[in-house]
Amino acid sequence: MQTETQETPAGNSQPVRCLLGMLGTDVHSKGIRTIAQLLRDAGIEVIYLGEHNSVKGMARAAVDEDADLVGLSFSSAAYVTYTRQLIEEMNRIGAGDIPVMLGGIIHPDDHAELRTMGVRGIFGAGSTTDEIVAFVQSMGRSR
Amino acid sequence: MGAMADRVLTGDRRAAGRLISEAERREPQALQDLGILYQHGGHARTIGITGPPGAGKSTLVDALITCFRKQALTVAVAAVDPSSPISQGAVLGDRVRMMRHADDDGVLVRSMATRGALGGLSTAVGDAITIFDAMGFDIIIVETVGVGQSETDVVGHCEAVILLQTALGGDDIQAIKAGVLEIADLIVVNKKSAPGSDRMARFLRESLHDRPARPDGWTIPVLMTEASEDIGIDALVDALMQRFDHNGAEDRVSVTRRRQVAAHLMALADVEIRSLTQRLVSGRAAPEAWQAVLERRSDPWTLSAQLFEQLR
Repeated sequence: MQTETQETPAGNSQPVRCLLGMLGTDVHSKGIRTIAQLLRDAGIEVIYLGEHNSVKGMARAAVDEDADLVGLSFSSAAYVTYTRQLIEEMNRIGAGDIPVMLGGIIHPDDHAELRTMGVRGIFGAGSTTDEIVAFVQSMGRSR
Repeated sequence: MGAMADRVLTGDRRAAGRLISEAERREPQALQDLGILYQHGGHARTIGITGPPGAGKSTLVDALITCFRKQALTVAVAAVDPSSPISQGAVLGDRVRMMRHADDDGVLVRSMATRGALGGLSTAVGDAITIFDAMGFDIIIVETVGVGQSETDVVGHCEAVILLQTALGGDDIQAIKAGVLEIADLIVVNKKSAPGSDRMARFLRESLHDRPARPDGWTIPVLMTEASEDIGIDALVDALMQRFDHNGAEDRVSVTRRRQVAAHLMALADVEIRSLTQRLVSGRAAPEAWQAVLERRSDPWTLSAQLFEQLR
């Protein structure tokens, strides 16, 4: 028989805070909304930025929100350029240590270049939700 | 010691963001930094915005930011959304409505989850206010979760509480039920182009007219806005300024300050009491007494009295 009620973790535990958004003119937000709910149900605090974000605005949000990681979703071909710009801007404002992950339609040929830029996670069409959740969880306060 | 506080005082936004997270975790070091920052505060004007889900709270915050920025006032926002009681996760989506200020150095938005706190706020909202105040922001806006009728914690933290209503949210009776209506310093009927808005505003004015005068002598204005079109915002800001002037009068300052300190203390005490209570009821505090209840040799009333005797 269960005799003990659940005890909340003492003090220093905190949900992972994950910024999720889309850059530029990309408008296919269904995927990112699905991921937002999935992560919420996995105990993540999702700071949801939606579509049409600027590079500067998203980098600023990562800082102000004290995000543990930044998740970008792309369905257009411009993702290499946008990702590079975002990582440069994050470096410029002293947020280069915040990991970046990509989701959406990402061509395997671009993976190496994205990794070189510093992208920590890439989740394309074949990725499972478990993989995404496990990666986001692993980006918590240990970094 | 106090290194984070020093960084925050120089306007380092990374440090400010980090310190809010540490305050949410109640890290002892963070509490020292907050103590230092508290001594540098007391200058910002604080506005609370509350109201039912879908009334347009985030959109109104966005419109207010635009108006304050035209007056060259800097604005920090703490926007609170609920945590899932099941997973502890959250989708914090208020920022989406404030995107036009994303590149503005004079605006800082922090999204916060309730993390189990009742009352419509995060426990660390008072701490976030302390940090923004010390950074020198002119205006601090606190946006609560979409309220029902008991989420009233915002009142203590903010010197001007706006209750946002629409004509779309239920009938007149909903509006006069006890709860959030009583905490408002200003009432705003948003989405004024919706049918019934004029009637709603009239009804609210009449309801307020029938109530006894407030002890602080403040008369609650009822205004109408269409926040998504920036309509009615100038008049609302004028009313907010009048509220600040009212609070700034000699005899009012200490009352407002006292109320803010009390709200901050209550939020901090809630955390302590909740963790104490959880420890007490977990069964670890008195395993034999627990076992007695399980076997019905004792009962929950007796156990409760035994456990909480230790607290008195």
